[in-house]
Amino acid sequence: MTDATWITIISLGVTVFFMLGVPVFLVIGYWVVACSFVLGLTLDNMGAALSDVFTDGFALLAMPLFILTGDLINRSGIARRLSDFAYSCIGWLRGGLAMAALAACGLFAAISGSNSATTATIGSMLHPEMVKGGYDERFSAATAAAGGTVGIIIPPSIIFIVYGFLMNLPISDLFVAGIIPGTLMVVGMQLVCWVVCKVNGWGHLIPLNLNRVLKTAFGAWLGFFAIGLVLWGIYTGKFSPTEAAGVTVGFCIIVGLISLPLYNIMSKGKAEDRAAVDKSFSEMLVVEGFKLTEIPTITMRSAQITGILAPLIAVSVVMQQILSLLGAQEVIGGFVRGMGGYYAVLFTAMAIVFVAGMILESLPVTIILAPILAPIAHSVGVDPIHFSVIFLVGASIGFITPPYGLNLYVASGVTGVPYFRLLRYSVMYMFALLAVWIFVALTPELATVLLPDR
Amino acid sequence: MEMLFAEASALVAALFTNDAWEISEAIGKPGAWIIGFIVTLGGAAIVLAIYRAVPFIERHFERSVMVWSYLIIAGIIFVEVFRRFVLSEQAPWSTTLPPFLFLIMTWFGCSFNIKLRTHLSFNEFRIAMPPTGRMFCLALDAVLWFGICWIVVVTSSRVAANSASNFQILLGTDDVLQWWFLVTVPLAFVLMAARVLSNLLTDIRNYRSGEEMIQTAVIGGE
Repeated sequence: MTDATWITIISLGVTVFFMLGVPVFLVIGYWVVACSFVLGLTLDNMGAALSDVFTDGFALLAMPLFILTGDLINRSGIARRLSDFAYSCIGWLRGGLAMAALAACGLFAAISGSNSATTATIGSMLHPEMVKGGYDERFSAATAAAGGTVGIIIPPSIIFIVYGFLMNLPISDLFVAGIIPGTLMVVGMQLVCWVVCKVNGWGHLIPLNLNRVLKTAFGAWLGFFAIGLVLWGIYTGKFSPTEAAGVTVGFCIIVGLISLPLYNIMSKGKAEDRAAVDKSFSEMLVVEGFKLTEIPTITMRSAQITGILAPLIAVSVVMQQILSLLGAQEVIGGFVRGMGGYYAVLFTAMAIVFVAGMILESLPVTIILAPILAPIAHSVGVDPIHFSVIFLVGASIGFITPPYGLNLYVASGVTGVPYFRLLRYSVMYMFALLAVWIFVALTPELATVLLPDR
Repeated sequence: MEMLFAEASALVAALFTNDAWEISEAIGKPGAWIIGFIVTLGGAAIVLAIYRAVPFIERHFERSVMVWSYLIIAGIIFVEVFRRFVLSEQAPWSTTLPPFLFLIMTWFGCSFNIKLRTHLSFNEFRIAMPPTGRMFCLALDAVLWFGICWIVVVTSSRVAANSASNFQILLGTDDVLQWWFLVTVPLAFVLMAARVLSNLLTDIRNYRSGEEMIQTAVIGGE
C-alpha cells in the first residue's frame, strides 16, 4: 500500500475514534503517532513539541491569563454589572433581555478572551432570568452559546494569540483588528434576536430610564476600567498582550479583595439579589468581590480549562508539522489557487474553515489550517491582518455549528437544555454570523481601519 | 530483541551513574521504550497506591501544582510590569520562567482533567450505547491514554535528558537548569497513567454493578 492509502486509513480510523467519544487530544495524538510510523519519522518530535510549544515563547502565556481574567470578573461581580448596564440600555426593546445577554457577551469578551468562559458566565447568569421572563429555554440557551462566539473576536482573544504566535503576526494588531468585526457580530445577532422575539412575543419590556442607565453604567465602571486598561495597554504598546493579561488578572484580584469589605459596609447587610435600580450609588461604586480564600477555587476552574485547551494546542502543532511534511499545504494550496482570483480564493478558504469548524475545535482548525491558507490568501493580495480576522470569525462560527459546536456543549452544560434541542435557534444565529462574516470578508477596512500604523 | 534488552539494561546502568551525558546517550536508544513502559505502568501503579493510601494527596497534589503555578505566573508578570513602570527595572527571568510554569500547569491540568473526564470529546453516540458498548468505549479510552502516556514519558524524558546533558540554563538566571522543569512532563504523564488506571478500575466496577458509567462532567467541579 502507498503512504497515501495508509494516511487515508489512519484518518478514517481516528474519525471512528472521534465518533466513539475518544477525547480530541487522543484523536489528534494518535493520528500523529500513526502518520509518524507511516512516514518513518521519529516520535521524539512529539515529546519535544509537547514541551517546546509552551517554553519557546512568552506570547502563548496570555491564553491562561485571559481565561483567569474571565473567571475573576465573573466571581467579583463585574460581569453582573456589565450585564445590568446592557439590560438597562436595551431592555425597552422586544427581546431586550436576550439582546442584553448578547451585549453582555460582547462586554465580557472585552475583558476575557475565551468563548467558553463567555458562554458559561453569561449563560449561567442570564438563562434563568430569561426563562423566568418568558423566553423559550432553548432560545435562551442558544443565545448564550451564540453570544460566546464573540469571546474570541472582541479583544483580548485567546485564539488571536494562538494565530499571531503561529503566523508571526503582531498580536496587538490582531486584537485591534477584531474590534469592529466583533461588534458587528454582536449587532448582527441582536437583529436576529429582536426579530425572533418580536415574532414570538417573548420578553417583558422595561422603560428606558436615564437614571437606571446612568446608575448601571456607574456600577459597571470597574468593568469599563478593565476594558480600557487592556485596550489602552495593547493599543499604545505599553504592554504586550501577555503583560496586559497579567495586569488585568492583578487588577481583578485587587478589586475583588478590596471590594468585599467595602461592599458589605455600603450595602449595610441588605439582601444581595436586589435589582440594580434598587441599589444606591454608593453600593454601585464597588462590586461584590470575593475573599482571599476563594482565589484558589477561582484559579482552579481556569487551570482546568487551560488543562483542556493547552494540550490540544501542543498536539495540534505536531499535527500541523506532519501535514506540512505530507505536502498538505501544496495540495490544499493548489486546490484553492485553482479556484481563480482574489474572491474565489477567499471564499474557498472560508468554505474550508467553515467545514473544518463543523467537525473540529477551533484551536486545531487554526493551528492546522492557518499556516496553509494564510500564505495562499496573502499571495492573491489579501491583507494578512484582514485574513486573520476572516479566518477567526469563521472559526468562531464553528463554536455553534454541529456536530462539534463547543459553545453548544457549554451552553447545554450550564443551562441543562439538551444539546440537540439548542440547534433550532442556534441555526438562526449562525445565519446572522455568516452574513457578518461575508460582510467582513468583502470589507477589509473593517479589520484594518483602527490599526495604528495604517 | 536481545539488543533492545541490552539497551534497556544500559539505560538502567546509566541512570545510576548520575551522569547526564551517559543518561542522554542511553535514553536515546530504542531500549528506552522497554524502560518507559515499565516506568509508566509501574509508576502509575505506585502513584495509584499512594493515592489510595493517602487520599489527601489524591485530592490536592495536582490541584496545588496547577493553582500555585498559575498564581505565580500571574504574580510574576503583574509585579514585573509594575516594577518596569514605577521603578524602571525588571527581573531578567520574568519572561523566561513563566513559560516553564505554564508547561507544568498544562500537563498537571491535563492529568486532572483525565480524573474528571472533562477533556473535549463528542459523546453523543457513546451516551446512546448499551452498557457493554459504553464499557468498550471507556476501555478504548484507557488503552489510548495509556499508549500516549507511554510515548510521551519516553520522548519527553529524552528532551529533559538532552537538556541536562547540555547544561541548558533558564535564560535570565545563573544556575537554574531547564531540565528541572522539563522533567515534570514525563512525571505528569505518569500521573495521567495513574488516573487512567483509576478510572478504568472504577468503570469496571460500575459495569459489573450495573451503575451509570458515564457521568456528566462539570468544569470547575469535582
